[in-house]
Amino acid sequence: STLPAVAEELLREIKKAFQESSHVPDDLLLGLKFIFGPSAVPALDLVDQRCVTRVTAPSGRTLYQVLGSSGKLYTCYSSCHFCTCPAFGFSVLQKSESLLCKHILAVYLSQAMGACQELSVSEEQLTNILLAEEEDEG
Amino acid sequence: LCRGGLAERLCRLQNRERSAISFWRHQCISDDKIPSDKSGILIVKILEIFEECTIQVAICQQLEQSPVTLSPEDAVINAEEPILKVLFTRETAAHLKSRPQDVIHIYPPWQKLLLQNADVPVIMNTYFSQKVLLSEHSEAREKTYGLTKMLIRKNIISLAQTFRLDDLDDKLHQESSDNQVACAPQIHNNDDSKQHPLALSAVNDSLLEMVESQGAVGWREVQVRVVIQRVYCLPAREWCRSHTQGNKPLCATPVMNSDPPNVRLCLLVQDAYGMFSEVQLQSLSSTDDVEQYCRRWEGKSCCLAGMKILQRTTRGRALGLFSLIDSLWPPVVPLKVPGQSQDSEMMTTNLPPPSFCYILTVQSGEIHVEVDEEEQISNLYQPPAVHGLKEILRIDGCNERCSFWAQVLYQRLQTKHNVPIDQRDILLFVTDSTLQNVVHGIPKVVAVSVTASCVLSMQIREALSAGSRLVFFKDALWGNGRIICVERTVLLLQKPLLCLAAGADLSELTGPVRLDELDSTTQANSVCALRGTVVGVNESTAFSWPTCDRCGNGKLELCPQDRELLYCNQCSEVVTTPVLKMQLEVFLSCPSRSQSTVKVKVWQRPALFVLLTMLLFLQTYEVQSVLGKEVGLLNCYVHSVTSQSNCVALEEIVLL
Repeated sequence: STLPAVAEELLREIKKAFQESSHVPDDLLLGLKFIFGPSAVPALDLVDQRCVTRVTAPSGRTLYQVLGSSGKLYTCYSSCHFCTCPAFGFSVLQKSESLLCKHILAVYLSQAMGACQELSVSEEQLTNILLAEEEDEG
Repeated sequence: LCRGGLAERLCRLQNRERSAISFWRHQCISDDKIPSDKSGILIVKILEIFEECTIQVAICQQLEQSPVTLSPEDAVINAEEPILKVLFTRETAAHLKSRPQDVIHIYPPWQKLLLQNADVPVIMNTYFSQKVLLSEHSEAREKTYGLTKMLIRKNIISLAQTFRLDDLDDKLHQESSDNQVACAPQIHNNDDSKQHPLALSAVNDSLLEMVESQGAVGWREVQVRVVIQRVYCLPAREWCRSHTQGNKPLCATPVMNSDPPNVRLCLLVQDAYGMFSEVQLQSLSSTDDVEQYCRRWEGKSCCLAGMKILQRTTRGRALGLFSLIDSLWPPVVPLKVPGQSQDSEMMTTNLPPPSFCYILTVQSGEIHVEVDEEEQISNLYQPPAVHGLKEILRIDGCNERCSFWAQVLYQRLQTKHNVPIDQRDILLFVTDSTLQNVVHGIPKVVAVSVTASCVLSMQIREALSAGSRLVFFKDALWGNGRIICVERTVLLLQKPLLCLAAGADLSELTGPVRLDELDSTTQANSVCALRGTVVGVNESTAFSWPTCDRCGNGKLELCPQDRELLYCNQCSEVVTTPVLKMQLEVFLSCPSRSQSTVKVKVWQRPALFVLLTMLLFLQTYEVQSVLGKEVGLLNCYVHSVTSQSNCVALEEIVLL
């Protein structure tokens, strides 16, 4: 497949540009729009507002929590593309129309621009965050 | 969308692009010829098409010239021609209706991306694409292919394929730059060399304009003139606490900091239009400098340049910051009106307080703040309004910032042992002349809670433990009947040069300090005075221990060299004449709270000394000799008040 490699390279370019000049050039922003379509602007907005937190436990396990625009907290996994938001379920899983949802894209962009908040929690707390999602379903 | 943020910028770029695309398409329809100017146009022949998500991927061959000029025989795949992967959005693909063998002209601006492990370059941003039909075959092809809908293979992307943004070399430092401490050199004042490392443009007076110019050409050189309203320190932990919204607050535990303490000097600044911003400067090596910066900088004007926007925060997300901003509202001078001439000004009496605030930070390594220390205090500056404690207790409202000057009588540290000392909450008992000189109706002493988020200098910590000191509490929070010191509260040993003493009586306390007497309204975690008669003794609590006669250290150890001698770790010397301290719990009958059992741990009373000596060393005593003994006036800390057993447990204390 081609698209993931393209998306990855684009995000790497953004990270490089940001590290060199603390600035993302226009052409890379437009590239984000081209590849990710309607998720691009909302994802950037989440980054602007510093909504992404990297949650780490002593074992080294990490996950990301993104504060969505509705005030709801979504969990994104770090080892595969997965997000607990409904858009992910629909656009990515069901329809295969998008590579990522805006939250996962926001996670990558926050990584690239050093905009992740950091949070250390205990193993138990990390487990609770992961398992808490089950209560919402059904 | 955040003003000045990346999302807003992309929105603008996108709108411009969309207009350009529709304009171009319109032009293509009306003007059928291939333009003679071929610069930048990519000419490709599609070999294969497939879909991934909503992007159409076309494997193409790049052609040198337009095949219209070639004969059909020449339009054969030449193995030498470079292969490209051209991406089209769903919308462009629908417009083009491409098939294999089609020739597409891609007009600029398009983008080429080279992938790390692949030889085939990728072409993106292909909005301006046009299918070119070979004139000789065009009609035939249209007839054959126009009616059948081509099935395009769709690749399903695996979720397991994540993106790795770091190269193999820089895997080590993955910390976000927010957490990195910018160890910038000393901040200049005008006395130092006047050279400017940046070619700075003329000075602006609007923070909002500076924020909006972020990302545009020349943004680093924009300077803004602002007034420093407050100077304080923030602990780094502050930044981890932003996610407590929604239904599920994150169970946040503070990140345990090792030394050096991660504390940043911050300024709350205001521009001529009334807008506030919090500027986070470098981390301080010594928190003792805060008092210095406060004296030198508060009220002065300064120039900010090349700031980086850390966050745009709103009232709902940053209650602490906005309670401070509210205490500075409305402004004391008329504000400028944006967009109008210099002379027109706005009266501020009915203006609503701000609802958002930008948090800025400096770029590491460069100096961006120039304070005019020699200049006069600005008219816009609002010094802290100092009130007597009596007035503060009467304030109606919640989360009000207040400043006062008080004497610290007693300090109690929170007893959580797994938390380092500098992160523990402290309970202070304070008073001033407005409380001491009153007959009744209000308490004589007030408890002030100092949370770990309020940064205290070493000087202050020592002063709080050592002697009876007058301390200036700047911008503490009053609410729900309590005074608390939180982030942005500053404790100072010297009264600031400029403060509004709103009729408060700030005179020194004359005479000894008096505490409220123990009565039916006394609550736990407070201090009080009591007197009573001994009605019982709890023998099992009798305890004595030696203390160092030099420093009072109660935890002496046995000397390693000579097990008969005692050694003090704090003085690093042998203690030859230790002072013996004793402790005992007695039950008192107090007339002021006659319904309760009063249990006091005493250790200072010579009157009970005899009893203790008998208990501990002679192992015999005559209860009769102590029953009925009068004890008073004891100053005590109330540990607990249990309503069921109607018991009050206290501990004798010594006021500072």
